Amino acid sequence: MTTTHETQQTTTPQYPEHFEPPRGTAYRLLFGPGLVRGAWMGALFFVLGTLLVVGLRAWWGWDPVWLWPVIITVAGLTAAPIGFLAGIGAFDYWLYYLSGRPTRPEDHSGHGARSWRDYFRVNTDHKVIGIQYIVTTFVFFVIGGLFAMIFRAELAQPGLQFVNSQEFNGLVSAHATLMIFLFIIPAFAGIANYVVPLMLGAPDMAFPRLNALSFWLLPIAGVMFLASFLTPGGSFAAGWTGYAPLAEGQPLGQTFFNMGVQWAGASSVMTALNFLVTIITMRAPGMTFWRMPLLVWANFTTSLLVVVATPFIAGSQFFVLFDRVMHTDFFIPEGGGYVLGYQHIFWFYSHPAVYIMMLPGFGIVSEVISTMARKPIFGYRLMALSLVGILVLGFSVWAHHMFVAGMADWLRVPMMITTLLIAVPTGIKVFSWTATLWRGRIRLTTPMLFALGFVTMFVIGGLSGIYLGSVPVDIHASDTYFVVAHIHYVLFGGSVFTIFAGIYYWFPKMTGRMYDERLGKLHFWATFISFNLTFFPMHYVGLRGMPRRVFDYAEAFGDLNFVISIASFALGASTVVFFYNMVTSWARGPVAEANPWGAHTLEWQVSSPPPIFNFDEIPQVVAGPYEYGVAGARHAVMSPAREAQEVPA
Amino acid sequence: MRKGIVQLVAIGVVIAVATTLVAVLFQWLPTSASEEFDRIQDVYWLVTIISIAIFALVTALIVFSVWKWRVSPDDDEDGPPIHGNTTIEIVWTAIPALLVLVIGIVSAVVLARNGEAGTRPLRVEAVGQQFAWRFVYPDYENATSGELVLPVGKEAQFTMRSVDVIHSFWVPEFGQKMDAVPGIETTILVTPTRTGEFPVVCAELCGLGHATMRAKARVVSEAEFEDWIAEQR
Amino acid sequence: MTSHAEALGHHEHHGPPAAHQSSRVDPRVLGMFLFIASEAMIFGSFFAAYFFVRVVNPDAPGTWPPEPFHFPVFVAGVNTIILVTSSFTMHWALQSIKRGQRTAFLAGMVLTFLMGLAFLLTQVIEYLHVGFNTGDGAFASVFFGLTGLHGAHVAVGLSLLGMVIIRGFRGHYSPEHHHGVELPGIYWHFVDVMWIVVYATVYLI
Ligand code: HEA
Ligand code: HEA
Ligand code: CUA
Ligand SMILES: [Cu+2]
Repeated sequence: MTTTHETQQTTTPQYPEHFEPPRGTAYRLLFGPGLVRGAWMGALFFVLGTLLVVGLRAWWGWDPVWLWPVIITVAGLTAAPIGFLAGIGAFDYWLYYLSGRPTRPEDHSGHGARSWRDYFRVNTDHKVIGIQYIVTTFVFFVIGGLFAMIFRAELAQPGLQFVNSQEFNGLVSAHATLMIFLFIIPAFAGIANYVVPLMLGAPDMAFPRLNALSFWLLPIAGVMFLASFLTPGGSFAAGWTGYAPLAEGQPLGQTFFNMGVQWAGASSVMTALNFLVTIITMRAPGMTFWRMPLLVWANFTTSLLVVVATPFIAGSQFFVLFDRVMHTDFFIPEGGGYVLGYQHIFWFYSHPAVYIMMLPGFGIVSEVISTMARKPIFGYRLMALSLVGILVLGFSVWAHHMFVAGMADWLRVPMMITTLLIAVPTGIKVFSWTATLWRGRIRLTTPMLFALGFVTMFVIGGLSGIYLGSVPVDIHASDTYFVVAHIHYVLFGGSVFTIFAGIYYWFPKMTGRMYDERLGKLHFWATFISFNLTFFPMHYVGLRGMPRRVFDYAEAFGDLNFVISIASFALGASTVVFFYNMVTSWARGPVAEANPWGAHTLEWQVSSPPPIFNFDEIPQVVAGPYEYGVAGARHAVMSPAREAQEVPA
Repeated sequence: MRKGIVQLVAIGVVIAVATTLVAVLFQWLPTSASEEFDRIQDVYWLVTIISIAIFALVTALIVFSVWKWRVSPDDDEDGPPIHGNTTIEIVWTAIPALLVLVIGIVSAVVLARNGEAGTRPLRVEAVGQQFAWRFVYPDYENATSGELVLPVGKEAQFTMRSVDVIHSFWVPEFGQKMDAVPGIETTILVTPTRTGEFPVVCAELCGLGHATMRAKARVVSEAEFEDWIAEQR
Repeated sequence: MTSHAEALGHHEHHGPPAAHQSSRVDPRVLGMFLFIASEAMIFGSFFAAYFFVRVVNPDAPGTWPPEPFHFPVFVAGVNTIILVTSSFTMHWALQSIKRGQRTAFLAGMVLTFLMGLAFLLTQVIEYLHVGFNTGDGAFASVFFGLTGLHGAHVAVGLSLLGMVIIRGFRGHYSPEHHHGVELPGIYWHFVDVMWIVVYATVYLI
């Protein structure tokens, strides 16, 4: 039934609108919260920021008064985005509140989407925000993927053909940056945004307005990364790792990277905080930690990682920024700085970040495999604890990215051991998934195909991680295409496959319609095959001697690189099938039932899409989430008579 | 069930054999030209054997389960409610732990051996600069060359320095790599085992010319080396 | 972080059904603590930079700060006392509103605010007279980095306190509803504790 939205549309008391001038008037268009106000307030704040910089410099008597790098940093990359956010109305409520004016009553007019236009507004409904996230991140996936297509075309032959070396480095850097900060991390946040409150039996996230704000920081970061292509000197081109001191001498574009990371990072920290508070304080009665679905567990651990680790990448980029615009010497040896400090601080975030990019996927796959094999997840508690194990170990391995960086020798062996030990909790997960399949009743639907494809591909990626984790092997393989192969096996064969699995799995819940199963299977097989053709040979060229991040390479690697490039175009084309399926099914696919997979978790116990406030009454959780095959077992009962509990003030 | 186990093992063996063929029929690593790389290749093979076993096990389990227990998508019966099995869970925690510890210990031993400088190694300074390498021989009155020449069979101790940004010294046939970092000195050992010409590759992104930052390494006989170095002085 | 409980007047409730409260912790307080955890990690990254420059770096200067520079240890010490005192007045303000003593509450808030402001101004003046600039070496980088980061936090804290004062004068808080005071208070204490750590590492050690 897709009519839930429409019924709500007719019974409007949920949406009183008397606080704003009526829609459609010029006044409302200009001064009501929205993209128009966002645009002019962004511009206004840019001007104010410029005046601030120029004014302060003139007052202090610094020369020159008009200094572009500083103006761009302060006015363009800091003030203007704040103006934009204020303009679209992300701060309205708080400004009313903080200035002591009466706030608007809790009308929740920001809840739910009545038309497609509502997806372009600040909306506080976690379901709307989830979809905003998912659609936005896929846009950036396409852009990042197209960048890969361009540099793969360049790499089809040795020598330079299509782009120059600056453009090449810029495309590689932007490819990885978009994929990581604007696709994988926020796509998981989007799926979790939609699903986690439902799974917990909660009406929304703990802080709906913060949730909306977190989303709107993302497009800002994305536009910033892309805008760097327009700067003189081209886009940032020091790799997604932006190592100092290379990054410090780069043209203006690098500043866009430094600041873009801050916006994306702030977004993930706020979302993570929101998840943690939601999971801790808003579980339905009876939903103990040991009864939470593994997706919730996965997001709980991921969020802890985000809250603790992300500030470090913020720090690392601030230092580079200061070195660039304020002439500090954090990483400049001549001034007494310490070059390797950058790498330590950067990887202290960016290694945990690779688990931020994987644990939510583990959660999705656990849901899919259990539902589709119709068996309880094998070893539920150990599955949850292994997530915690990865979380803890993940903080003690960052220097495995620095085995050849010239860091202190004594750090190598301890970091190697902890790195290798991560195979143990990860192995527990892999083996438990296979044990869940054992004697199950396996339905090979598209989400299940992606989940199983994920397990096999991730094992390959994990094992290449073991090669890299062994210091002597890493000394040979570091900074080669072997690492590129590892990255894509864990990130594409790993994370992206789980994202696909999750999108297919919850598609009926989110849209109220069913996707086309035949196209889904076609998508899977096309992706699976072209993925392996693209990335498996990279192990070989890497070990044989091809370094990464090069536009030119030895003749000997020409043939294989040609094959890789062709396969990568096929991989790109395979995604077209996916987008076609999604768009057409969303528009006119068959209407989906509430629970097409027969799953037990709470999100499937309400209509598809769910009612505006998720549950008419709070469900009572009575057992674990995966009690398949237990006669009469239920995860929760929806008792109609029970009163919603009042929140103590 | 007996039959099932046999089938499972058969699938596993097929996958293992196929993967082993992939591992041995292609020459994945360059032919070693240094003692250090010989040892590294031993570790590589150890990891490869373990990887093949793990990969075969996991994929065999998946392929077998799907083949055996696949039902039609409309089927809505449940599977047996198996929640877990403590013994199995302990086994698959302990065995991987053991395996990775073996890898770790072997790696640590090889790392230590590869880092042991013998008495009186040949000292070479490798200086990275956007976008070229310079090699200085302090034992020979700081003779300097853009080409790396080493005598075969003699241990060479490299000291890496950088003038501007981070570079990385790598000769694939030596299997040894180390970053050249501005502000600090880093070292690595290479004991060439066969004569020949090999590429010196910069492996760390160092700017626009990173891809072209190449040099030539020549391993020659002791006598040839003495002649060459005399010319450089 | 805000709640309709504190909004003026009572409005008809159209919102979602209230969630089940599955923990005794108040969501807003928990959120504030998590936020502070991540703030502490920001400081952590700056301390890491300090550590690399001063301890790990093989070329680290023998004396700190390197000759001929000096840190204004005494002025910063006075500043420390000011900030620590302001934590106590903050606490006093909160206790007062809990007991319903509005005047004491307002006095406490204003005092806290003024002391914070004094701290910030002293800091700025100190920057002008310290005798070195951001470009004078890595020691200056970490000095300005850590104290500047902290200063930024004081500024944020001051804005929060300012809001509390505005709302306070409008009579928004009561013994029953004082979360709006408590949360900025927690933040202010954090800023205060962080300063002690910064002061100890940068100036004293
Ligand atoms: C999703 C992201 C993700 C994940 C999950 C991982 C997982 C792992 N990674 Fe990876 N890694 C990256 C993303 C990821 N990585 C990226 C992006 C880079 C490059 C960054 C850059 O420089 O640009 C990188 C680089 C990288 C390096 C540095 C290479 C170099 O630059 O020199 C190393 C070195 O140790 C490493 C190791 C590992 C290990 C040991 C794991 C382990 O967690 C894997 C554990 C899993 C398994 C082992 C498989 C399942 C286990 C079993 C079936 C049990 C039995 C197994 C055994 C007994 C072995 N990774
Ligand atoms: C989640 C992360 C992610 C994802 C999904 C991808 C996806 C892809 N990556 Fe990426 N990659 C990274 C993360 C990722 N990568 C990282 C972290 C690095 C390291 C960067 C660094 O060194 O700093 C890297 C580096 C990297 C390199 C090494 C560059 C170098 O070192 O010089 C290469 C080389 O081939 C590559 C290729 C690809 C390809 C072909 C895809 C494809 O899978 C993309 C397929 C998707 C699309 C194409 C989008 C959909 C397209 C359409 C809908 C249009 C249809 C198009 C056609 C028909 C052509 N990547
Ligand atoms: Cu020098 Cu790359
Ligand atoms: Cu890592």
